[in-house]
Amino acid sequence: MATFNVSQDGPVNALALNRDNTQIAIGGRNVFKVYSIEEESFKEICNLRASKSNLNLSFSCNDVAWSSTDDHYLATAATNGHVCVWNLTKMGKAMQEQDYQEHKRTVNKVNFHASEPNKLISGSQDGTMRYFDIRCKNAVAIFYSNTESVRDVQFSPHIPHTFAAVSENGSVQIWDVRKSDKCQQQFTAHSGPVFACDWHPESPWLATASRDKTIKVWDLSNKPTLEYTIHTIASIGHVKWRPQRKYHIASCALVVDCSINIWDVRRPYIPFAQFNEHKDVASGVVWRGDPQVFLSSGRDCTLYQHSFSDASRPANKANPQGVSINNKGDVIYTYRISTNNTFTKPTGLIRKSSNTVSNDQFHQATSAMLLFQTMLYQDTNCFYALATNYMLSGRSFSEMCEHNAAVAKDFGKSNVCVIWRIIKTMYSEEFYEPTINHSYGEKYCFKMQGMNFPNDYSNDDQRSKVGDNCVQKLNAGDDSGNLDTDIIDHVPSFCNFSAYNNFKFGLPKGDFSFGENELDIELDALSIDFRNSLQNSQHLGQQQQDWTLPNEAFNLRHEILDRSPPPENFSSHYSPDINDECQQPLSQFEDQVPNLVSISKPLEKVHWDPSNIVVDALKYHATMGDIQTAACVLTVLGERRKSLKTLDESTQEHWLLGYIELLNRYKLWNIATEIIKLSWLPSVSQLNQQSTRINTNCSQCAKPLQRIGWLCDRCHSSEYALCSICHQVVKGLYAWCQGCSHGGHLEHMQDWINKHKVCPTGCGHACEYR
Amino acid sequence: MFEVQEINAEHKDLIHDVAYDFYGQRMATCSSDQYVKVCLMTSVTDVKFGPKTQGLILATCSADGIIRIYEAPDVMNLSQWTLQHEVQCKPSCSCLSWNPSFSKIHPPMLAVGCDDTSAATGGKVFIYEFSENSRRWTKIETISSITEPVHDLAFSPNLGRSYHVLAIATKDVRILNLTPVNDNNSIQSGITKLDVQTAAQFEDHLSTVWRVCWNITGTILASSGDDGYVRMFKMNYINSWKSVAALKGDGSKLLSNENYQSSVGSSAGLPTPPISQTARYIKLGAISQPREVPWH
Repeated sequence: MATFNVSQDGPVNALALNRDNTQIAIGGRNVFKVYSIEEESFKEICNLRASKSNLNLSFSCNDVAWSSTDDHYLATAATNGHVCVWNLTKMGKAMQEQDYQEHKRTVNKVNFHASEPNKLISGSQDGTMRYFDIRCKNAVAIFYSNTESVRDVQFSPHIPHTFAAVSENGSVQIWDVRKSDKCQQQFTAHSGPVFACDWHPESPWLATASRDKTIKVWDLSNKPTLEYTIHTIASIGHVKWRPQRKYHIASCALVVDCSINIWDVRRPYIPFAQFNEHKDVASGVVWRGDPQVFLSSGRDCTLYQHSFSDASRPANKANPQGVSINNKGDVIYTYRISTNNTFTKPTGLIRKSSNTVSNDQFHQATSAMLLFQTMLYQDTNCFYALATNYMLSGRSFSEMCEHNAAVAKDFGKSNVCVIWRIIKTMYSEEFYEPTINHSYGEKYCFKMQGMNFPNDYSNDDQRSKVGDNCVQKLNAGDDSGNLDTDIIDHVPSFCNFSAYNNFKFGLPKGDFSFGENELDIELDALSIDFRNSLQNSQHLGQQQQDWTLPNEAFNLRHEILDRSPPPENFSSHYSPDINDECQQPLSQFEDQVPNLVSISKPLEKVHWDPSNIVVDALKYHATMGDIQTAACVLTVLGERRKSLKTLDESTQEHWLLGYIELLNRYKLWNIATEIIKLSWLPSVSQLNQQSTRINTNCSQCAKPLQRIGWLCDRCHSSEYALCSICHQVVKGLYAWCQGCSHGGHLEHMQDWINKHKVCPTGCGHACEYR
Repeated sequence: MFEVQEINAEHKDLIHDVAYDFYGQRMATCSSDQYVKVCLMTSVTDVKFGPKTQGLILATCSADGIIRIYEAPDVMNLSQWTLQHEVQCKPSCSCLSWNPSFSKIHPPMLAVGCDDTSAATGGKVFIYEFSENSRRWTKIETISSITEPVHDLAFSPNLGRSYHVLAIATKDVRILNLTPVNDNNSIQSGITKLDVQTAAQFEDHLSTVWRVCWNITGTILASSGDDGYVRMFKMNYINSWKSVAALKGDGSKLLSNENYQSSVGSSAGLPTPPISQTARYIKLGAISQPREVPWH
């Protein structure tokens, strides 16, 4: 069987098959034809609209019916209320055997009795149904529905003399043709007009279709009971059970949906099959006695024969699986449960979608949902802990770096810890200097941020600035041994990242060496790449730290006395430590001289800017999804980030917004706000300058409070803004229940709600704070 | 490690998708029983909200190959969505994904996948971008390497990458890197040119892949396929993707990475360390599953 069509001059309203399913009659406003159905096409047999003489208003067809007992008789229902009977054996005007003009309004449906010849019933907009014997001039019986317009009438295939009528007020009536005074049964089927009904060919079921976008299946064997409901996307104009398939029914919509859907009533959510040939809504469907073939007419002026093999199967297109991951790493997974239990083992051959289930399994579609709760909360916890424990402002740069490094280390992120230490090393106060073109001396005019050091220091002030900072560095990171292992642990992972390679291998080593340098190799390599002068002083400081200590213990006093140069001898505040060092070897440590010679070398500046590597490192972390590190380092860097010239603002904004988004996901709103507040980018810092207004009303008179504070201008009192627990005026955060509007100090309310369920004022409201 | 728990979603028909909310606490399912229902003229095959940076915006794609972008002009009136753009794509669009990047250097971007089965129609994944100059959506790329039907695609969350990562569920799992190229041409025309690289291709499912999904940082990709497994992939620190776990809930063997050798087709071609270094998932227990219970 093939799918083919024929076009008409105008929209087709209805179609009817003859008894043998070989011929089809179609009717419309200006179409009334009979076709014979060939293998691949329709062949016109007669056109009842052809002759001018027949052009009569009564032929604008709403419906066509073909007698199932006598192949010569057709009946039509006309919009002007006429019901006509046509005899196909006659010619010309004589073809129109009967023209009943009894209905006052449009006739919606005509239906021949299935077994009794010559019997015909019609249903009309005027609310009546008329039963005709086509041999008689007038209706033999009239049925008054006492409802609104009758939209469809159908003889029952099971019970002789019985027909069903559906009407625009949503009710269904079952009539016996022999009893015209009262209907056998009446029930309300739909909340809107019922447009069509169809008896099931075998079961005592009646399907009804309505404007309420449902198709309902009623079991009428006893009291009408609703068996199935199909929800559709549009009003349904026609329904027709599929022969030999108990649960299948075809439907076409009145508006919107141009496709013809075949439903399995047991799976009412998705059509079993869909035919999309029509370009406008279909107006009728008839099965050719075969479940594989049906014909349809459409408002797009076409008549179609459809073959089931050409159907589209929407269920096969629908995705049968779903996966989602939440912020903790839990995975939720839904999948179709295969009903036949023959789950296909994955083999290399199976590629095609295996969800094409056989027809009898179609309705058994069901899904299972599984939640894989991850036990690896490490990443989540780590993010959470780092976010809450990082220090992003309020302390000196190196303190923050050191703190954050320690935090990162505590939570197992030793690579992040190294980043913080490196950042600290490169940018901390004592070495950092935004502009490179200073003289060596000036470099020691410390660019301090937030740290106050005594400006004047004398010789006996042991802790000079450099010394101080170095000591502090060593003390804070006292575990320089730890640092060692740390770095060594994690260097391999950096080796694969190009930027880090530069650290290790890419750049030349310094042209001098520190014999007893206790710094670990890795950091040494880093430092050598760093500006020599700066790095030297650091080394010196640390070196000195080690071997001056015994010095101090024994001959410090003497040393100080010996040491003469007052600070003003130096071009700037040159480190007394270095000074110290310079003198000590002269007096005692002769073997240190070679090293000391090298100290003068740092004066030759090497302009090396670490920012490229820092940018690379941050970008690497951002790429790896560790936006936290990138955003936090940027934030802590403060003004120093200006030296990161290769990092454009839009990337910085991207990172900050990304981090804020993540914080919001974890409900860390305070920290997100902190980030926004610390942001140097207007587009980010503006984020919390929106919707900042809160309107308050006096809780007694409901007058809006105009002033800042809780004083109501009408009540001249602020007593209703007192804390419900301590009865003090709340200054600061005021928490209140949205239900009873009682509240108070945030902490008081928290304490109360932890212990009690109802409002502290005794108003009886079960307050909810969420 | 994962603990398996079965949830009865009480859907009466197939569940087609599932999603966590922003905070990862609630989940939404959509099923053909119409509990998440979209009524539009044609059969809409996918609908996605746009990134929040662009306001209340959503895109649909439909079987007739038209991408429609709607916007709710009034946040207080969510019943009103006005059609802003209509873009003609290839027929049988099956899925779409918004690029979630926060960065303003990345203009709004959509990826659309088609599920028509003929390989002759060429590429099945199209990248559209909104041009601020012309106020129009234009196709900037057709991924010609993918000719099999595409069932799902998802842009990775982009919290700080300069390039975009797109996962595609077709006969296998593909991961593409889309790098915007800033050459003179693209700057002049205002249309981004993309350099498309296949970062990875996993045939682990050995069957149709239906869904792909990212974790919130875009470091782990989960995919589900007809083999009944959820497989997870992770990028290691040298930008190569590795299969890290396979999860199956119905009591059958749960493969963890230790005994699971994947047929990884990594384009990076770099030496990679043992997978066990990247992550470790261990099955805690099997669950019994009422798989024979039909819904009615």
